[in-house]
Amino acid sequence: METAEIRIGVYICHCGINIASTVDVDRVRDSISQLPNVIVSRDFKYMCSDPGQELVRRDIKEKGLNRIVVASCSPRMHEPTFRMTIQQAGLNPYCLEMANIREQCSWVHEDREYATAKAVKLVSAAVAKVSLLEPLEEKEVEVRPEALVIGGGIAGIQASLDIADAGFKVYLVEREPSIGGHMAQLDKTFPTLDCSACILTPRMVEVERHPNIELLSYSEVIDVSGYIGNFHVKVRKKPRYIAMDKCTGCGMCAEACRMKGKIISEFDVGMGKRSVPYIPFPYAVPSKYTIDPENCLFITKGKCGKSPACKDACSSDAIDFEQKEEIVELDVGTIVVATGFDLFDAREKPEYGYGLYDNVLSGLEFERLVSSSGPTQGKIVIDDKEPRDVVFVQCVGSRDKSVGNEYCSRVCCMYTAKQAHLIHEKLPDAKLTVFYIDIRAFGKGYEEFYDRVREEGVRYIRGNVSEIIKKGDRLLVMAEDTLLGEPVDIEADLVVLATGIVPRKDVKEVGNLLKISRSPDGFFLESHPKMRPVDTATDGIYLAGCAQGPKDIPDTVAQAKGAASSAMTKMARGKVKVEVTTASVDTFVCRGCGRCVEVCEYGAPNLEEVEPGIFVSQINDSICKGCGACSVVCPSGAISMKHFKNEQILSQIAAVI
Amino acid sequence: MNSEAIVKETRAYHCLECGVCTSSCPVARVRPSFSPRLLVEKALFGFGDEIVRDRDLWSCLVCGRCTSRCPSNVDYLNFIKEMRIEASKLGEKGLFSHDGILNTIMELQSLSLRQKRTSWITDDLEVADEGEWFYFVGCLPYFDLVFGEGGYCDVGLKPTERARNTVRILNKMGIKPVVSNDERCCGHDLLWNGDLEGFRRLAELNLKTIEKSGAKKVICLCPEGYVTLKRDYPSYLGEQDIEVVQLYQLLADKLKEGKLNFVENGSDNPVKVTFHDPCSLGRIAEIYEEPREILSGIPGIELVEMERNRADALCCGTSGWVNCSSCSKQIQTERLKEAEATGADILLVACPKCGIHLSCAKYNSDIKIEIKDITDLIVEKMA
Amino acid sequence: MSEEFEPNIVGFACNWCSYAGADLAGTSRMKYPPNIRIIRVMCSGRVSPSFVLKAFQMGADGVLITGCHPGDCHYIAGNLKCEKTMETTRKLIDVLGIGEERLRLEWVSASEGSKFADVVTDFTNHIRGLGPILGKSQG
Ligand SMILES: Cc1cc2nc3c(=O)[nH]c(=O)nc-3n(C[C@H](O)[C@H](O)[C@H](O)COP(=O)(O)OP(=O)(O)OC[C@H]3O[C@@H](n4cnc5c(N)ncnc54)[C@H](O)[C@@H]3O)c2cc1C
Ligand code: SF4
Ligand code: SF4
Ligand code: SF4
Ligand code: SF4
Ligand code: FES
Repeated sequence: METAEIRIGVYICHCGINIASTVDVDRVRDSISQLPNVIVSRDFKYMCSDPGQELVRRDIKEKGLNRIVVASCSPRMHEPTFRMTIQQAGLNPYCLEMANIREQCSWVHEDREYATAKAVKLVSAAVAKVSLLEPLEEKEVEVRPEALVIGGGIAGIQASLDIADAGFKVYLVEREPSIGGHMAQLDKTFPTLDCSACILTPRMVEVERHPNIELLSYSEVIDVSGYIGNFHVKVRKKPRYIAMDKCTGCGMCAEACRMKGKIISEFDVGMGKRSVPYIPFPYAVPSKYTIDPENCLFITKGKCGKSPACKDACSSDAIDFEQKEEIVELDVGTIVVATGFDLFDAREKPEYGYGLYDNVLSGLEFERLVSSSGPTQGKIVIDDKEPRDVVFVQCVGSRDKSVGNEYCSRVCCMYTAKQAHLIHEKLPDAKLTVFYIDIRAFGKGYEEFYDRVREEGVRYIRGNVSEIIKKGDRLLVMAEDTLLGEPVDIEADLVVLATGIVPRKDVKEVGNLLKISRSPDGFFLESHPKMRPVDTATDGIYLAGCAQGPKDIPDTVAQAKGAASSAMTKMARGKVKVEVTTASVDTFVCRGCGRCVEVCEYGAPNLEEVEPGIFVSQINDSICKGCGACSVVCPSGAISMKHFKNEQILSQIAAVI
Repeated sequence: MNSEAIVKETRAYHCLECGVCTSSCPVARVRPSFSPRLLVEKALFGFGDEIVRDRDLWSCLVCGRCTSRCPSNVDYLNFIKEMRIEASKLGEKGLFSHDGILNTIMELQSLSLRQKRTSWITDDLEVADEGEWFYFVGCLPYFDLVFGEGGYCDVGLKPTERARNTVRILNKMGIKPVVSNDERCCGHDLLWNGDLEGFRRLAELNLKTIEKSGAKKVICLCPEGYVTLKRDYPSYLGEQDIEVVQLYQLLADKLKEGKLNFVENGSDNPVKVTFHDPCSLGRIAEIYEEPREILSGIPGIELVEMERNRADALCCGTSGWVNCSSCSKQIQTERLKEAEATGADILLVACPKCGIHLSCAKYNSDIKIEIKDITDLIVEKMA
Repeated sequence: MSEEFEPNIVGFACNWCSYAGADLAGTSRMKYPPNIRIIRVMCSGRVSPSFVLKAFQMGADGVLITGCHPGDCHYIAGNLKCEKTMETTRKLIDVLGIGEERLRLEWVSASEGSKFADVVTDFTNHIRGLGPILGKSQG
């Protein structure tokens, strides 16, 4: 608190005739001059003009003023101007208060008496507030030139490459043994039918080779603290039991393993088998093997024959069962979250028989089936037979409130069209039917692609499938053709469910780790749906890809570039201004109840244990945005809002009444 | 009163500087910088001006532990009250909890507004506009909106349930009490926060309302309301022609007369409860045994006492909605742990505010013990 | 000035949408009654119920809070927090006998200058119709 005597200067602007024609400026000036602590009260034609500003500066110097009120237009217009003015004269810029007597008085009222009386009240309120204002220091924090990217799907890959190309260091953390994400599992991609591996592999290799990218694969972020510019991150590197620097990727270990061919392949979504030492797919990056600890005999039983077969087979002596998990600590300036999505689990719709009948597949399973790197080398066979009738079911787990997903997954219509086309290509005689509610072909080239698929003879029936049951060794798909208004039953050898995109299982934990919120659909929430679609509410943390909501590859890549650009902008400047008018806690008063922590959208307050069992809230003013929500819920009155303190606002209320 | 007069009036010049007050003071135990003894000494040495400007003047809980133990009979409570009255004349005040909402609610009640404070009355309750008994409800209808479900600071309570309980119990005793929309806050907190004028206004309005109802007996559940009506109204506004009764006094009598009966308990396992003596009910009004008599009359209830009970009971940590702080939280946590240490399943409270403060301290903490008002139990078990 | 009852109305407007909306009403030279005096806060979520109660205690006849439309709050959901708090506050002032109609919360965007003017006009007329808070002056 400043102890020096408060000396206020009040300046009432005529704004030409904009104010003066409705408000009796002389009367306002005279009544304000009677208020306590007001040393000068003047009026002037144009306060924002050079002579107007000079008047203020001169008075500050000559009359020793330390608080200034300018009664003129909206503070949204000229507050920055007058803050600068008083700063030039040596005052703290926050010792200013404006009274809006133009937009909110002279322009909206006609009666001169009333308008003048109101102007007096508004200026009095500004005087009351200014005498309680305290000088505030503007703060900038440094932004480290390093970024963390979480998730190595196409979104994370693209963001990492862009940031690294701009000259910043990138730590890319991927949970799985390889980067690539879902895109690596796809066969061809709509609408251009590029082979997914062909366009993805070069980018993955680029990541591996890039001098500015450090890839931490088979790793997870376990703790994030700090704020924009200076996040401190802890990453757990899981043991691969194979030394990365020694493994040549030859695969001898996998060949030798006693469990070879017995383990279900995650990459092939259960359609294929692998060994215990494994590489998820042939072109994985890094192309190093990992021992799956859950299925390894030596790790789970402590014994694998006389000695582990893999160890004997490895000629580079890379197998190391002594390997322990490792915690890596990183300091970064910005974070891009690109953790992607999970596929909807069609078992939640038991009426479709998924998981019960082998010939009901999810969309992703079909991608593996049709892929030349998949379990059947791309041959479309079910129980060694080529299907003659194939049915596709749209919107499985999307636009379906019964499973809690109201949204559209945005890719299923098109991937179904693609998959139908791929079958048609390989099995031209197969009869293909698609059940749909609406077709959403909104992207560039999408409608054209959909037309092409229909021309190829794929039959589209408008209606949602109600049930799939077994009929002999075939399936019976039941629906209503809503355009004809009659029930349809179709027999099929293969049903492909267009399973939708859902948030990651661990989305909540990751969100809590980063203190970022989620929208009602469960995906991470952007700061503004239109104007800030890649930012989160937390400065310095950006979103890319399906982590923010369902999208196709082109949109994923575009958003990843956006996120990279946001991160780069902050790192290129090297500094960011942080909010000045923030909340602060009186730790003497705080009861440590945690209500502020609950209400804050930005994770600025934190309960710290100052003595055993005693908690006190600490608000990080580099994170706080100054909204004031916490001060309203704080029961003890421990929180005060700089520049908008209770007593400051109460003084305004008292003055306007 | 100037500080010299206060020293005289409260017998502070008898102070032996023994320090019993400070070592009895729950605040001083947590915050050694707060010392009741030093406050008195300051006054003795003529530094009254310093006391009235001291932020710690508002940290005292007016719990009365010091007064009850002082070997020289220094009236510490009145010392604090008079100092606060002086301080507020200079515009000083404590730091209000809840942004001062509760204080403003009390002040607003001294205006002649048509309150709708009786909306908690449900159809099963019998109340009257005129009659022998006036039930003084106090601030419960307002507490509902602050601390009840959906309130600003929801601590998981339903304060007006205490009022409904009281009427249910009174009805059972054959009493159909007057309940009035024109009742005001009793003024306790304004008085103890130094706003003598505000207190007087409320007191006058309340006395007028009671008089208009024709009631000669006033019954209070809230211990603070009880001591305010019983002790402070006569001392500031002169003797009144009304009898003020605390609910537990009435019920203890009715129990003896055999007019309060409880249902027999089927199970053999008694429920263990412990009881928190509110400062105003205990040390101030010296009503210690009545609630215990009632509890012992309820079958299936076993009362286990806390380490500090009756005159030694610890305060619930906040008073008058000022200077509630980490210090309050520590006192409350200590009290709750003491309650848990008895092995009781339920901590019974007899003051709505104690219930609020102790429940608030439970929020986001690992303390499990259930907090219940005695009236909840009575209504549950009443035959 | 006329003899008619002229209410005192305290307004709280959030900086980002509704204060800008009020400014736009001015730039567009719309007219509304002069009874309202606006206090700028960063977000409607900053408005503590104590401000509302204090305003009534100090002599306000009505309190109008304006914030961004749901979904548009600059601080994500301050406006929804305000809505919840003010729901309770309306109940509170009703129990106190001030009357719940004297507190109003409205969403006004930066482009809704005319809505701002309409809201203020309507609210002012409504409060004028209600008259002074009963017996307040006798307090
Ligand atoms: C069946 C199907 C077919 C499709 N076909 C097409 C198509 O033809 N054309 C098209 O444009 N789009 C298609 N898509 C959409 C496309 O798959 C997505 O747009 C794209 O994969 C999104 O990439 P992403 O990086 O956001 O997410 P993901 O591919 O899911 O990548 C996320 C990555 O983050 C990792 N990760 C997750 N959590 C963590 C964590 N906590 N820590 C570290 N790492 C983590 C994951 O392991 C994964 O590698 C299809 C989708 C499906 C389901
Ligand atoms: S003012 Fe707003 S942003 Fe800052 S700590 Fe409080 S709730 Fe969070
Ligand atoms: S809400 Fe207030 S009392 Fe509770 S933890 Fe936060 S600052 Fe402390
Ligand atoms: S009344 Fe209680 S809190 Fe106040 S000084 Fe005495 S013991 Fe301490
Ligand atoms: S609420 Fe009860 S225990 Fe707490 S200070 Fe008041 S009387 Fe004492
Ligand atoms: S910023 Fe307008 S309501 Fe929050």
